[in-house]
Amino acid sequence: MYGYSGKMLDIDLTAGKIGERPVEQDLAGEYLSGLGFNARLLYEEIPAGTDPLGPENVLAFNVGVLVGTTVPTASRTEASALSPATGLFGTANSGNFWGSELKFAGFDGVIIRGKADSPVYVWICDGQATILPAGHLWGRDAWETVRQIRRELGDDAIQVAAIGQAGENLVRFASIENGPFDAWARTGLGAVMGSKNLKAVAVRGRGAVRVADRKEFLQAVEDTRKAIFSSPFYGSFCRFGTMLASLPYQEFGALPGRNYQRGAIDGWVETRSRKVLPRYSTRGVACMACPIACAHWVEVKEGPYAGLRLKDLEVTPVIGFGAGCDINNLPAIAMLTETCQRLGMDMVSAAAVVAFTMELYEKGLLSEKELGFSLDWGDERATISLLDMIAHRRGVGDLLAEGVKRAARHFPGASRYAVEVKGLECFLLDPRARWSTWTLGYITNVRGGDHLRTRNPVENLRYNENPIPYLTEKFGFPEEMYDRLDMPEEWKKEIFDPVTRDVNIPKMSRWAEDLIAVYNALGMCIRPPVLHTVGPTLFARLYTSLTGIDITPAEVIRAGERIWNLQKLFNLRHGEKPADSDYPSRFYDEPVTAGPAAGRRLDREKVREVLREYYLARGWDPNTGVPGAAKLAELNLTEIVERYDSQKRS
Amino acid sequence: MAKELAVNPGKCIGCCTCALTCAITHHGEFNLTKAYIWITRHEFDGTFAMTFSSCCRGCKKCALACPAGALRVVEAAGAAE
Repeated sequence: MYGYSGKMLDIDLTAGKIGERPVEQDLAGEYLSGLGFNARLLYEEIPAGTDPLGPENVLAFNVGVLVGTTVPTASRTEASALSPATGLFGTANSGNFWGSELKFAGFDGVIIRGKADSPVYVWICDGQATILPAGHLWGRDAWETVRQIRRELGDDAIQVAAIGQAGENLVRFASIENGPFDAWARTGLGAVMGSKNLKAVAVRGRGAVRVADRKEFLQAVEDTRKAIFSSPFYGSFCRFGTMLASLPYQEFGALPGRNYQRGAIDGWVETRSRKVLPRYSTRGVACMACPIACAHWVEVKEGPYAGLRLKDLEVTPVIGFGAGCDINNLPAIAMLTETCQRLGMDMVSAAAVVAFTMELYEKGLLSEKELGFSLDWGDERATISLLDMIAHRRGVGDLLAEGVKRAARHFPGASRYAVEVKGLECFLLDPRARWSTWTLGYITNVRGGDHLRTRNPVENLRYNENPIPYLTEKFGFPEEMYDRLDMPEEWKKEIFDPVTRDVNIPKMSRWAEDLIAVYNALGMCIRPPVLHTVGPTLFARLYTSLTGIDITPAEVIRAGERIWNLQKLFNLRHGEKPADSDYPSRFYDEPVTAGPAAGRRLDREKVREVLREYYLARGWDPNTGVPGAAKLAELNLTEIVERYDSQKRS
Repeated sequence: MAKELAVNPGKCIGCCTCALTCAITHHGEFNLTKAYIWITRHEFDGTFAMTFSSCCRGCKKCALACPAGALRVVEAAGAAE
């Protein structure tokens, strides 16, 4: 095959068997690769009633088909399994160099099932895979694991997906670390690896990705580069990365300050915003084929954390720990970033769990005696201790390792402080203060409370207005951006007001989810300069010329819709109810207490109405959010649903 | 006007687009082992080393693809005289 390596590894750790399965061309056209292959595989293989931490769970890594080429930002791999955090479709996406290395090793994906008798790691090199003992790695952090595997296999270019102690100890928000600094972070996939006694998957490849139509492919790559470089966010994203958002969130009053009690924080700009970043950040560090290099190399040269050197000081830990836990300096946040990377924990959830615990401590629901130390807002040393207790499930850390939803059950009155959707701690922008496609995504997202699958491709950081409350948000860009947006005209007419260009949030949500499903299926990155400018037209050209499999722009976006619907169907099989698509009670019952959004809270009725609009835009039952028979037929999903759901039910 | 390659490894972001471009240009496939330039990523130091093979044909396609200014096509020294 062109573009594809043409096969996946299928590894049964219980039997110690390594098999291969081919990538079928028909499925490739319908599901593309990456997330698409994972969605199909999990739907076929994981019946209702499966224990996410049992040997019957299946963990799949699939690389985007564009990875291993010069397509800008094509570096990404999707990892998916039944989530220990949500009990639903667990999935996370990561770049760096692991995916390209796997393709050069001759595989599009790796499927892992069963459970090894004792700790192991998988070593994949140039078309061969081996299961090796990992007893000597068990108990080590992810950084040490990466270093040791490279040392013992004798090659520094080996790419390692590894868990830290959090994954070993089945922390429900454990990540799979992708090298030392990147991760498949959300939905607890590190715990799935830990439950299988799988410490790492190490990869090295020296093969090739072949191209069907080289001339057209290289032209499509060049056009994609030009499109990305034309984004108004390109320069600032190269300079600041995701920290670009650190100022507007404060200006909107949409920070999750002290576990969503305060929308703005005194001294934020001088201590934790992008204005302070240049003191610590030295240079850009890119993933494979990425011209943006949004991550930066960070060095702390003085103060209590002098000597810290790591990639990334992203907006996620800065807002999570900096606002959520009110830790007031970037060096301490860099230390917490390293701590999460080493222990192997999703930083969004880890910061949210610490913020939740700090609030329990503030409100007197958790005592110093129970904790073993005091836990005041902003206490960075106590935060490090708590993260360590969680990763090792020591003391109260054992309860907190279950995530805020489950942990809250152990503290009477605590559920009002648990900010999660479907069991996944919410990402760090307060919907009471900024209502947008991004924040509606917390409740429509198949993987639970985060925005990364539902981002408006033309989200703006200039305005924070809803011209029609709950229904529209401002466009915020010059008309030229509207004209250049890679979206079919009929969709533009549906989504944008013809005069003001205001964005219809529920309709944009549906478009964004399908589009991002395509990104996660093809292996490109959703950073704003890319998401702004690259859509189905360029995707169709890139895919067709790379693989030789003809696909139209309409079929590309239809593939995204198919992938999204299949994840939703998986969730319904695993017990998702309409009531699960809702915000935590805090956002309805308590107003924001500081900053420009002080006094604002969500209106239950309005949220219900806009969710209904979203279901209508999706062609789902407007009351229950269930895809009907007509939608399944339209997406060519009828057969798979009949075959697998009837089989597993009987 | 004569052109030459200007190399500034300090600006390298480690994306390997140069090496992928070299491989597809000279070997018709994306294969880093066949490229005439390679990037060694010192991941724990956040630095990158660039090495050219003696087989490099001097086509400068790598520089045209480099997004970071680590490889650039410039006028050859003395070309102005």
